Formats: sequence, structure tokens, C-alpha cells
Amino acid sequence: MPPFFPTSEVNATLSQILPEAEITTSTDFEMNASEVLVATTFTKVDEALISKMPNLKFVQIASTGYDNVDTDSLRKRNIKLANIPTANKESVAEHVITMALAQLKNLLYFHNEIVNGNWPFLTNSSELMGKTFGIIGMGAIGKRLAERLLYFGTNTIYYDPARITDEEEENLGVSYAPMDELLRKSDIISLHVPLTKETDRFMGEKEFGLMKDGSIFINTARGEVVNEAALINAIKSKGIRACIDVYANEPPDPTGELFKVPNVLFSPHVAGVTVESQQRFITDTISNVLKYVQGLDPSYQVL
Amino acid sequence: MKGYGIFNRTVKDLGLRRIFGNPGSTEIPMLRGTSDYVLTLHDSISVGMADGYSQYSGRPSLVNLHTLPGVANSMAFIHTARMNRAPVIITSGQQDSRHAFYEPLLWHDLKSLVGSAVKYSYEVKNPEDIERALKRAYAISLSPPSGPVFLSFPMEVMDQEGEYMGLDYSTPNLQILNSGEVERISELIGRAKNPAFVAGSELDQYGGIRELEELASHLGVPVFSEPLSSRATFNSSSDNFAGELPPASTAINMALLQYDLIVNFGGEFTLYPYLPSPLLPGKKIVSVGMSPSYKHGDCVFSNPKLFLNALLLKANGKWSFRKQEDQGNAGLIAREKKVMGVNYVLQRARKHFSGYTIVDEAISSSLLVRKNMGYSQKSYFTARSGQLGWGLPAAAGISMLRDKVLEIVGDGSLMYTIQTLWTISKYNLPVKILVLNNEGYTILKSFSSSFYPGVENSEFLSFSYNIVDVAKSLGIESRVADPELKEMDWLAQGSEAKLLVANVPKTVPRLFI
Repeated sequence: MPPFFPTSEVNATLSQILPEAEITTSTDFEMNASEVLVATTFTKVDEALISKMPNLKFVQIASTGYDNVDTDSLRKRNIKLANIPTANKESVAEHVITMALAQLKNLLYFHNEIVNGNWPFLTNSSELMGKTFGIIGMGAIGKRLAERLLYFGTNTIYYDPARITDEEEENLGVSYAPMDELLRKSDIISLHVPLTKETDRFMGEKEFGLMKDGSIFINTARGEVVNEAALINAIKSKGIRACIDVYANEPPDPTGELFKVPNVLFSPHVAGVTVESQQRFITDTISNVLKYVQGLDPSYQVL
Repeated sequence: MKGYGIFNRTVKDLGLRRIFGNPGSTEIPMLRGTSDYVLTLHDSISVGMADGYSQYSGRPSLVNLHTLPGVANSMAFIHTARMNRAPVIITSGQQDSRHAFYEPLLWHDLKSLVGSAVKYSYEVKNPEDIERALKRAYAISLSPPSGPVFLSFPMEVMDQEGEYMGLDYSTPNLQILNSGEVERISELIGRAKNPAFVAGSELDQYGGIRELEELASHLGVPVFSEPLSSRATFNSSSDNFAGELPPASTAINMALLQYDLIVNFGGEFTLYPYLPSPLLPGKKIVSVGMSPSYKHGDCVFSNPKLFLNALLLKANGKWSFRKQEDQGNAGLIAREKKVMGVNYVLQRARKHFSGYTIVDEAISSSLLVRKNMGYSQKSYFTARSGQLGWGLPAAAGISMLRDKVLEIVGDGSLMYTIQTLWTISKYNLPVKILVLNNEGYTILKSFSSSFYPGVENSEFLSFSYNIVDVAKSLGIESRVADPELKEMDWLAQGSEAKLLVANVPKTVPRLFI
């Protein structure tokens, strides 16, 4: 556990939830008899760890993404797996809109000009209202983003292999578009897909090639879903403005080419991290562990 | 004097002016000479009306049910009266005992049927029993914990000759102060690192809301409301009000995590649903009240108001709780206005119905009802039992005692006892009814999505019906609210009963873990 982790507070809280439970906060053990493992996305839940926990029955990932988990190993041992796909939807939706607005309003440029002693007189800032906003992946986060965009007056379109119901589309004010059409039409595109075999590097040369020149590309999903070389090429050749929160390797190599091209706004994989979302992750994680303890199926069960 | 005469005389002497009921053949003998009968078109409605009447007045009320069918039809309501601690005297006719051996039509062992749902049950055997059984039932209904009692009257007894004796009777003395415990509880509070108070329904029933507010303010201690209370527990606008405890054990533990001493004044930790956490492990819990349950920690039997008054003179300590200033929720209301959201509807209702007594059975929106409407002494009632159909009869019963009653009810709950509208119309009861119509059992959808995902989409959890037409057919003026809620003005105008339907969103709130 990192030094800032409030182990004593967690223990005090756990004593009020499951007084008979024992808590271990490190994976640095030879063997462990725990039945439940709670991990964030930053802990590798792999064969090496699972094989040291012979009694493990349930893994709760306190995060949306669970690509840090060796699902084959869990499946082999009949171990349940659940994630928390909803706790950070508000923070990610706000982060995406923040990034889009920062690009549209040239905030980074203005900031740098002013701290460098310049006073820019001209701007090509534009508004979010009236733009076509393409959402790829209409899960919990995509839906919350669409809800928030309602108030900005965007024309919101989405693509998801599983189309949502007509009623949901009406309520969210969104229209379905096939992937290629979404890429062609959108002024802003935001990714909200999990990392799977199907989505690995699925944003490549062809996809970026379909995007409008000068459009905005936002990735708060997973770094691996984007072919970084293709993105860099699109930034250079089509003037794509990018907003990147996630990277294939974290932390990324700061000397990489992505950090040298213009009009890219970065954040360090924090789109879903707010004080409020962390509280929701804790609450939902506790809820799911309690459900498991009382013999119910945990919510958001993946395996 | 014949048995029915003794019955009428006793009822009159006990001040039980009205009889709420729905008669059958077995009751006709005992109802001869009855003058103030409130007719309901389902047996259970009479119990619900009497429950509201008794809770609001603090006095026993009288119900007359039609033997087996009437009692059986009312069982959930009798149980609710027990949970609500409503001193309702339930009477029923009984088949002529001279042929009871043959188990004739309508006969049943009624005492066994009411079972543990009442505090006391008796079947009179002769005319002499009538007076003493009614007087005993009256006193028992009021003794803490107050609640329903049951008397069965075989038909033939009502025509047998007897004498009205004018027997002395007494009601329980509720002004009991356990003064010996004041010093000890005061010291416990003084020694606590971080104490919290819990306010319960007894503070509305026996008094003590103002006293607890004063004590909490003096000490700087937060006051939580007991979970799932049947009525107001505290003044929700107080600076020391820390909100309502949720009913599940884990959630209660989390809400009270930072406190080492919990002093519960007249409340109960009603739990639902089951969660594996034991309740408040390692905490010092003291309950002060007229009906200590002895389920948790240390209990002190005392009138809470008197105890709080005494504690005010003794208690010392200084903590710093003060609730966060309410920043208002104009943004939320503006957003909800676009979809007729529940908060929008209730905020508008709050403006029109300030000073009203709220009777709440909008189950999935009850938290929002309490949050938006607020509560204080005798201003909020709901059923503690979890049954549906209680709210409208209870509101009707309370409206016989005061002319400002607003019933806030869901479409599901309304349908259970919608015949109450006929009684409201017949007796010109001044009940205003706001229906939050979400076309289904939203509480069950929420429960399902938390514990049994997928079931919330089941067809059997959704329904709709024409509420306005049904209400009109039962004699109540009714309308559907337009998006601007102009009809809220209409609803508030005049003293006559009216019903307004607000078609709120069908979205499922997260109400469980």
C-alpha cells in the first residue's frame, strides 16, 4: 500500500462492517487464505497472485476497467469477478467536457501566451453548442456524458455494438450512427470502450483518416485502444486536436513523439479520479462485498 | 339494559364518539343506537382511518369490523397500527355462540386470528363483560408501547340483559421520570469523546422535540432521526439535525462511524433489508423512552420529554456539530422541471402546503418527501410497517381533527385503498391528495436493481390506470398536473378534497446498497 493509504481508517471502518473479517493490505505474501480480494486497476491480478490465494472466491475491482485481471485464471478456478462501472461516470463525463472546452476555447494556448508575457488579440475559439459530438461506447459513462451534453446544445451521435433502446435514445437526446459515419460527421469524438481483444488498437489509420480535419479526439478509456502512431500522424496531417488521459504505458515516456506534436492536451489517467468518485467506489465496493458475504450475486459481475 | 345499550353507554363514557367501520350481519345487533358511524367501503380502511386519528389526537379510537372477513381483511392494517403504536380499539361482531360448535357461516376463532398483532384480545361472554372489557381495552391501548387491542362480541350477548355499572377505570400515567438515571446518562455523555443523539417517534408522541433540540444545541451534538419512523422525530430545520439514519445495519454503522456514544431518545433501529454487519459493534448505546426494546445496549424507562428536561439541567460537554448550511437546490429543481421530477413537484408543493400535516405513502419518494417538505411536531406521518394502502385512510382520519392535511401518495399505494375517496367525499373531509404517478412499483424496481439485477425490468412491476377517472367516479375533483404545475394552486384552493396527479419520471432511483 502507498504511504498515503489510510490503513488505520480502513480497518476502523471494516470493524463496523464485518467485525470478524481480517484485512491484508499487501500482496507481498507467500500464501494467503483470503476469500475476497479487492483491488484497484493498478494491481496485477495475475496467475502469480491468484495461485497464492487458494481460498479466493471473489475478486472485486474498484474501478471501471479490469484489464489488469487475468480473467482466464479466474475462470479456470471458478472465481467471481466484478468491477464498478458507474462510480466514476460523473467525473469522467465532466473531464471529457472540460478537455473539449479547453480545446475549443484555446485555453492552453492563452495560458501559455499570458505566462510568457504576451497578450493575444485574436482567437479562433469556438463554442461547444451546435457541434456534433460523437460518443464511441454507450455504457454508463457514455450515457452520463450524453446527459451532460444535453445542456450544451450539441448534436450527439453514438456508436456501440449494442444499440440502446429507442426510449433511452430519446431521453438522452442521441442518435445512433454506424462507426464510419460517426467518425466522418463528428467535430468531437470521445472514446468510452473497454480494452478487449476487439478494441485493442481499434482506432487506427483508417479511423483517424475518416475524421474531419481539425476535429477533436478525446481518449479517457484506455491507451491501448488507440494506435498511437496513427494518432500522431492524424495530428500532423489533419490537424486533429487530441486530449489524452490514458496511455499504453503509464507513466509514458516523456520523450515520446506524442509529447512533441502540437494541440494535444494531457492529463495523467485521472479523468475518473475525484474525491466524490473515490467515495462512490468505496461505497460500491463495500456493497458488493456485502452482497457476496450474504450469498447474493454481486452487482456488475463480469465472471 | 340490553347488551348493545351497555356497549353504547360505555363507548360514550370513554369519549369514543366515532366508530370507524364497515358492517356485516354479525355487527348489526351491536350497532343499534350508534349515532356517529363513519362508513368505509373496505374493512381495512376503517383501521387506517382510526390509526391516523389516534396518532394525531393521542387518544384511543374505535373501529368496528365485520367478524372473520372484516378482521382478516384488516390484518395488515392492524399490524401497522401496532408498529405505529396507534391506540386503536378494534371491535367485531361474532357469530351467535349458541351454535358455534357447528362452525357456522362467518364463524372463526377471532382471537387466534388477530394473534400477536394486538396487545390484548378478548371475546366477551356475557353483558357484564362488555363494560369492563371495553374499559380495560381502552387503558391497555394507551399503556406503553401504545397499540391496538381487540374485542369480539357474540351476537346473542347484545340482546341479553345486564347492567351498566359505571366502573371506575384509569388510564396509564405517562408522566414518568426515571430521575435516578439522569445523573448516570449525563455522566456518560460528559465522558464521551464524540456522542450522537438519535430522535425517535416517541418525541412526537409524548413530546420532547423542543427539549432535544435545546439539549443538542447546548452540547453541540448531532441529532439523527431513527430509521423508518412512523412520524416526525425532530425539527428537521434545526441546526443540529444530522439527517435520517438509513435502515440497513451497515449503512447505520457508516452513518454513526465516528461516534462512540449513541443516545437514542424514543426511537427504534428498524432494519431493512438484511445486511451482514452486526448493528453498531463496540458502540455504547443507551435508549431512553416509554417503550425500550432491550434489543440494543442500555435501556432507561422514562418519559423522554421529562427525561430531556432533567438532562438539560445536568448535561455538560462541548462538541461542535452544526449542520452544513443549505445552499438550496435551484439548479436541481430547474433541471427536474423539464421532466416533472419529484423534487420539482415537491418543492412546489412545499410552497403551497406550508403548515399542513403530511401523510406520506409515496414509498420510493419518501426520502425526498421528508427532505423537501421537512417536518416537526405532528407534521408528518407514514406507516412503519412497509404495507401499502395505509396513507389515504390515515390522512382521512387525521382530517377529522384538522383541516390542513396533504396526502402524498404513489400510484401503487393509492390503488390499494382507493375506495377511501368515497368516504372522504361522503363526509366532506378536507384532504388534499398529491399523487406521484410513476406507473409501477418503483421501490421494487430499485430493490431488484440493487440485489437481483434484471428483475427491475419485469413486466409485473409496471402498470398504469386512469387515476383521474377513478377518483372522479368516487366523488373527488381530480386533475393531471401540467408541466408548469399550475394545478398546484388549484389543489391548494378551498377546503374541499381534491386530487392532483403528477406524472413523474419512471427512472429508478438507487435506494439500497
